[in-house]
Amino acid sequence: MNGSIGARPDLSAHGFLVVEDFEGMRGILRDMLTRAGVTRIVFAPDAAAALIQLERQHFDAVLCDLHLGRGRNGQELLEEARQRHVLPPDTVWLMVSAEKTAEMVAGTVEARPDDYLIKPLTETLLYTRLARQMEKKRVLAPIEQALRAGEPLKAQRLIDAALERAGTHAWELKRLRADVAWQSGDDERARAIYEEVLARRDVPWAQLGLARIDVRHGDYAAARARLAQVTQGSRAYLEAHDCLARVLEHQGELAGAQEILRQALSVSPRAPHRLTHLGEVAFRRGDLDTAANALRRGVELARGTPAQDSGRYLTLVRVQLARGDREAAMASLSQLAHDHKDRADVRLVARAMEIPLRMQAEETTVAWALAQELAPELRAGAAVLPTEVAFDLAGPLLELGDTETAAALMIAVVGNHHDHAEYPERIEALYARAGLAGQGRALVAHAAREAVEIMDRGVRLFHAGELDEAVATTRAALARMPDNARLLLNHAFLLIAGMERHGHDAAAAQEARACIERARRLKPEDRRAGELLARMEVIRHDFVA
Amino acid sequence: MPESGDRLDITTFLLSAIHDMKNSLGVMVAFLEDALACAEQPAPARERTAQALYEAQRVDEHLIQLLALYKIDQRFYPFDAGEQVLADLAREALARVDTLAGSRGVTLRCDCAEGAVGWFDYDLVYGVTVQALHNALRYARGQVLLHAHTDADGGVEIRIEDDGPGFPDFLLERDLPGPLAIQHDTGNTGLGLYFARVVARLHGSDARRGAIRLENGGALGGGCFVLRLP
Repeated sequence: MNGSIGARPDLSAHGFLVVEDFEGMRGILRDMLTRAGVTRIVFAPDAAAALIQLERQHFDAVLCDLHLGRGRNGQELLEEARQRHVLPPDTVWLMVSAEKTAEMVAGTVEARPDDYLIKPLTETLLYTRLARQMEKKRVLAPIEQALRAGEPLKAQRLIDAALERAGTHAWELKRLRADVAWQSGDDERARAIYEEVLARRDVPWAQLGLARIDVRHGDYAAARARLAQVTQGSRAYLEAHDCLARVLEHQGELAGAQEILRQALSVSPRAPHRLTHLGEVAFRRGDLDTAANALRRGVELARGTPAQDSGRYLTLVRVQLARGDREAAMASLSQLAHDHKDRADVRLVARAMEIPLRMQAEETTVAWALAQELAPELRAGAAVLPTEVAFDLAGPLLELGDTETAAALMIAVVGNHHDHAEYPERIEALYARAGLAGQGRALVAHAAREAVEIMDRGVRLFHAGELDEAVATTRAALARMPDNARLLLNHAFLLIAGMERHGHDAAAAQEARACIERARRLKPEDRRAGELLARMEVIRHDFVA
Repeated sequence: MPESGDRLDITTFLLSAIHDMKNSLGVMVAFLEDALACAEQPAPARERTAQALYEAQRVDEHLIQLLALYKIDQRFYPFDAGEQVLADLAREALARVDTLAGSRGVTLRCDCAEGAVGWFDYDLVYGVTVQALHNALRYARGQVLLHAHTDADGGVEIRIEDDGPGFPDFLLERDLPGPLAIQHDTGNTGLGLYFARVVARLHGSDARRGAIRLENGGALGGGCFVLRLP
């Protein structure tokens, strides 16, 4: 066998991006690729340079070192490239690393590279992996393309066809098939696939898939049992830890949730979403030091990336205020405004949050002046203000005597969350504290009734056959309750019913899709979103055909 | 996360030192392989270079094994069993030891069905296979054979055979104990066999777990290392 090992493939038609900060390694990779006939190799020394290259041109494969010196590492680069949609479905991503990490194998779909190469590299290793992954992309890229285009039914057909042909990717295809079924609200199908897989091999992702279905159906105890089994085996199954922490939090076991998150962070510490979750759980428990540390770190890690999220800054501000550390809270608000220069809504929130801060400092005059200045903007934007910010502001506003603005904020909260279990109680408690208990009760009752009436009107018109009027009604209602998931889905349903009657309509389709996506972000557990997307796909294809 | 105590510090040190050493070794291995590829080297120099390469690769393997064992013990090894192509495993493992085999005048042979797939954690099984190949190369007279096969139940058997003198009796006991006592005369710490056993047992479920076995004889008449995975 000597000398004959590792016949070089012909890669001359392919373009490569090599992300590597170490010059010696760049040379080794260049030599290996050149020997396989590659002529188009672009080098990027760090994540920022790599992103620029990915935006500019198409690559067939990316070879990326996990460690990139200072700045973002290869893992963060991969996730950011996916979130920014600069990684085409047919591009192979190979992570080059001294060792396999938990993120690479047990992170979310966004976090997993196609494959990883453990150093020291050999030509054979590089060529075999490249060949295998490029072959896999030929099967998976069209499926991924369909999913990105919002065509889950087409994706399912492609997966089923690929499974018929049966190759070496059967497990991967099944995993994808189950995931697409779950996304489309077809939980029965997803469950069947996961159970079939588990009957053959004990794979953590199938356990996780079943647990997600349990959660969606409200069976938290079953989800918890499954996830506990996975996480007890290993701390490296990160996604299962994240999911278990949510389940425990839902069951009110905050200490357990915090411990699970701490374990996952000990393995994978640079994850802003996980740090945020830890911050929230610790805050709820009153562990303010842990909360502040986790949130501050999350803010810093995500700054300037797609993971940057104004909600994280605001939770940090709340924790800092709870600690009485107003100086730090003020600094966080400045940073929030600074990091969101191009977002007028976030800048408004950053300024408005100074009102509770000033009230806490007993600088009532400053708070009052600020409230006076911002009140018109707050009332106008009440419907789109983050719910927790509305709660943060309502108390101080009532105290300052601006009942009109406070009421506008609270009416918007009820409208957006008409079926929420705790918000009405919180609102009433807030008014009671301000000595306005009766006013609070009346406000909640009235706003809830109005929200339900508005939704019922749309449904009634639909059943009466007045489709256009129904659409107009829900559209007008959405202007007042833009974060009401049920209303969003009702509106999308009416638009889709209209298309089913009169044929595909680009504007209606776009409006419906936007509503569904928004509803899904607000209520990921609602199966209707996936079902409506599938119906839209049918309409589009019937129309095209 | 702030964690108190010096224990974390020394562990962190050890882990980052292992990474650093691995990077240096990677460069050394690449240089030594380049040197061996140069035809004009005189024979004694080649012999020394080959020896240096073998030692560097051995250290590298030990570091990988220590790191993996630590993570397995601490429950954060990212164990990732999945469907793997046996021929790819065989090709990559043989490629890893090809230079060394060439310099020692040992012929590597591979007996592996194209298209056969097994279910295992690639990196761990690759580590076990490469180290068994290195061990076989150390004692082989002229030939080393790598078998990789699947059975009807989806299990995998990987055999590495050589034509050397075979394993000493004390290693041939049917049930291999935990970490072997350090053999001061040979410098054998037992790490390799311990690692192989841990890797084997990580595969499968309580009903049926993987195992390793040492034999003498086989097709080449020397030592034979067997890894069986359910």
